[in-house]
Amino acid sequence: MREGCVVEVGFSEPVARYLCPVTVAAVADRGRQGWVHRSTIDDINMNNRILLKRNINELLARSAEAREVYLPLEGPGGDVQFLPLQEPKELDNLNLNYDQLIIPPKNIGFPQLESLFEFKDGEINPTVPVPSRHILFGLRACDLKGILFVDDFFRKNFEDIYYRHRTEGRLTVVVGCTSPSPNCFCTSTSTGPFIEDGFDLQLVDLGERYLVEVGSENGERFIGEFEELFLDASKDEIHHSGEVKVTAAKAVTLKVDFKEAIRRLTEDDVPREIYEEIAERCIYCGGCLYVCPTCTCFNLFDDMKEGEGARFRNWDGCVFEGYTREASGYNPRRDKCSRAARRYEHKLKYDYQETGISGCVGCGRCLTSCPVNIGISNFIEQLTGLDSKQ
Amino acid sequence: MKYKLPKEDINLKPFMSKPPRYNWKDVIMRTDKTYKCEIINIIELTPMEKLFHLKILDPVERDIFSFRPGQFLMLEVPGFGEVPISISSSSNNKEYIALCIRKAGRVTDILHKAKKGAKVGIRGPFGTSFPMEEMIGHNILLIAGGLGLAPLRAPLYWISEHRDEYEDVSLLYGTKDPPSMLFTYEYAEWEKVNHIDLLTIVDQGDDGWTGRTGLITELFKEMTIDPDNTFAIVCGPPIMFKFVCNYLDSIRLPMNRMFVSLERRMHCGMGKCCRCMVGSTFTCVDGPVFDYWSVMNLKEAI
Repeated sequence: MREGCVVEVGFSEPVARYLCPVTVAAVADRGRQGWVHRSTIDDINMNNRILLKRNINELLARSAEAREVYLPLEGPGGDVQFLPLQEPKELDNLNLNYDQLIIPPKNIGFPQLESLFEFKDGEINPTVPVPSRHILFGLRACDLKGILFVDDFFRKNFEDIYYRHRTEGRLTVVVGCTSPSPNCFCTSTSTGPFIEDGFDLQLVDLGERYLVEVGSENGERFIGEFEELFLDASKDEIHHSGEVKVTAAKAVTLKVDFKEAIRRLTEDDVPREIYEEIAERCIYCGGCLYVCPTCTCFNLFDDMKEGEGARFRNWDGCVFEGYTREASGYNPRRDKCSRAARRYEHKLKYDYQETGISGCVGCGRCLTSCPVNIGISNFIEQLTGLDSKQ
Repeated sequence: MKYKLPKEDINLKPFMSKPPRYNWKDVIMRTDKTYKCEIINIIELTPMEKLFHLKILDPVERDIFSFRPGQFLMLEVPGFGEVPISISSSSNNKEYIALCIRKAGRVTDILHKAKKGAKVGIRGPFGTSFPMEEMIGHNILLIAGGLGLAPLRAPLYWISEHRDEYEDVSLLYGTKDPPSMLFTYEYAEWEKVNHIDLLTIVDQGDDGWTGRTGLITELFKEMTIDPDNTFAIVCGPPIMFKFVCNYLDSIRLPMNRMFVSLERRMHCGMGKCCRCMVGSTFTCVDGPVFDYWSVMNLKEAI
C-alpha cells in the first residue's frame, strides 16, 4: 500500500472515497495521516482481468485436479458451508451469492478438533499435517480479514507449526460481498464488503462476468496457469467495478461508531453497568466464540485407552467459568461480569493495542448466533449511545 | 557412486515461501522439545505435596537443559495431560530437576500414584525469571505463602551458591497450619549454613506449635526493611500479594524492586491458548515473574 493523496481517477467523489478508505489501524498504529490509496488507475488496468461466469465451473474443476478447492456449497436445507470439492458434480451446489457462512473458514487452518500427537508404548509421534496446495474460493472480505488476523496470531511469539502447515499452500480468492446479511457492519470496521489488500485474487460481480483483481504474485501465477479462461479488462469494466463496490457498501445498512467504541475501550471509558447487563442476559452457551472468525482459544486434552491414545486440541472460549480456574481453585475471572467484559475488551481493546487491528471484523455472526440477542454491534451501539466521560 | 535426486514437488515450491521469522523468543525458551525423564526420587513433604526428582534420560539433553530461577516447565504424562510446574531445584544442578507438586487434579493425581522409575516428559523452560544479577550487593527479602515456597527454592539455591554477593537475606514463610509447612527438613541448613534469616508463621497453630500465629504481614513487625537497599520476591496465593505488596509499597520499597510470580491456568505455554492472559499479556510468555509496577498496570492481575 502506498501513501499519498487521492489520485485523480475520474470517479465521482463517493467512488474515490470508497476506493481509498483509511483504515483505522493504519492511522492509529503507524501514525499515518490522511488518505491512503490502493493503486492508481493504470495499475488496476494492468493487473485486472475478466472471468466469465460460465467459465467458473471449468476453472474450479480444472484447478481441483492439482489442488484441494474449498467452496461455498449449498446444502439441501439452504445452508451454505465452506467445504472441499469432492467430485465435479458438486459444483451444481456452488453458491457465490450467499449472505454469510454460518461457520467462518478459520476451521481450515484451525479445525474444531485436531490431534497434535499420538502415543503408544511410551513413544510419541507428532501428527503434524503435510502442507498442501489449496484454494479458498469464494471467501468474503470479512472472513479473509479474520483469516489474516488468525495467521498473524499463530505466527507471533512462538509459531504454531500445526497452523502453519495447514495454511502454507493457501491461495485466497475473495468474492466481494453484494448481499450482506442484516447483522453485518463491515463498512463500520473497514473490513468489507471488498478487501483492499492481503488477498491473492478478488472477484467483483459485474453481472455476466467477474472482474478479477490480482493482489499477489501467487494470484498472478494462478491466473497464468489458466490463461485461456481469463480475458483482459477494459477501462469501462473497471469503472463499473468501482460503482459495484459503492453499491455494495451502501447495501450494508447496519452502521456503528466503531472508532468511538475503540477509543472508549482503550481509554477505559466504559461503564461497568454495560457489562453487568450483558452478564445478566448471557446464558454462556459460547455460540459467539465458535462462530467468531478471530476467536482462537483452545483446550488441550488427552484421550487414552490401554496405553494408546492421542492429545487433541479443540475450540474453547473465555466466557466459560472453568476456562481460567486454577489448580488451587482460585479463579481470576470467576464472576460472570468479568468474563463478559473479557471478550469485548480482548477484541476491541487489547488486540487493537497490541497489533493496531481490532479483533472484530464486523461480520455480525455473534449477534446472529446469540439466543439472547447479544452481539458486538449491539454492545457498540449501547456504548456509543451513552455519555462519555470526556 | 550413485546420486539420488531429492524428491520434492517443484510445483509446490512457490507456494511454500518461508514466512518471516516471528519467534525470536525461542532463543531463551524452548517450547517444542520434550525431554524424556525418569522419576529418580520421590519425597513426601506433606500428605498433599510431594517433591519429585526428575532426571533427563539422554545425557546430551541433560546437558542442554538449563533454566533460570523463577522459570517453569510443562510436565507431561502422556494419556493424562500436561501441567505447568515451577522448578524448585538449583539452576546449577545438572543431575536432576526437582518439582514440588500438590495433588490437585487429573495429572497431579496420577503423579502422586507414580513410583520411582516412572517415565514422564518435560517441555521448557518457559517464562521470565528473577533478575538475580541485578540484586547483587543488595538485601533480599523472600516472601512465600503456602506452596509459593516451591518456586522460591530456585532463587534460594542461587543465593546459597553465590552467598558472598548478597547482603542480608531473609525468608518469610507463612502457611495455613503447621503440618502444611514445606521443606521443614531444610530450615536448619538455610539458617545455619546459608545464613538466611528464616521467619515462619501459621494462620492457625495446633497443640505442638510453639511458633508465631497470624497472617504473614505480622512478620514485618519483627524486622526492619531498608527500602533503599532491598529487593523483594513474593510468591503465594493472590490474596497474599495484595497485603504484602501494599505493605512494602507503604514503606516505600520501589515497585520495580518487588518481584511477584503470578499463577494462572496454562495449557500450551506458547501464548496460544489464551488461558493465562491478563489484559494483553500472556503470563506464560511474558511472565510468570513480573515486577510489581507491571502488575499494577495489568488489569485484574492480582
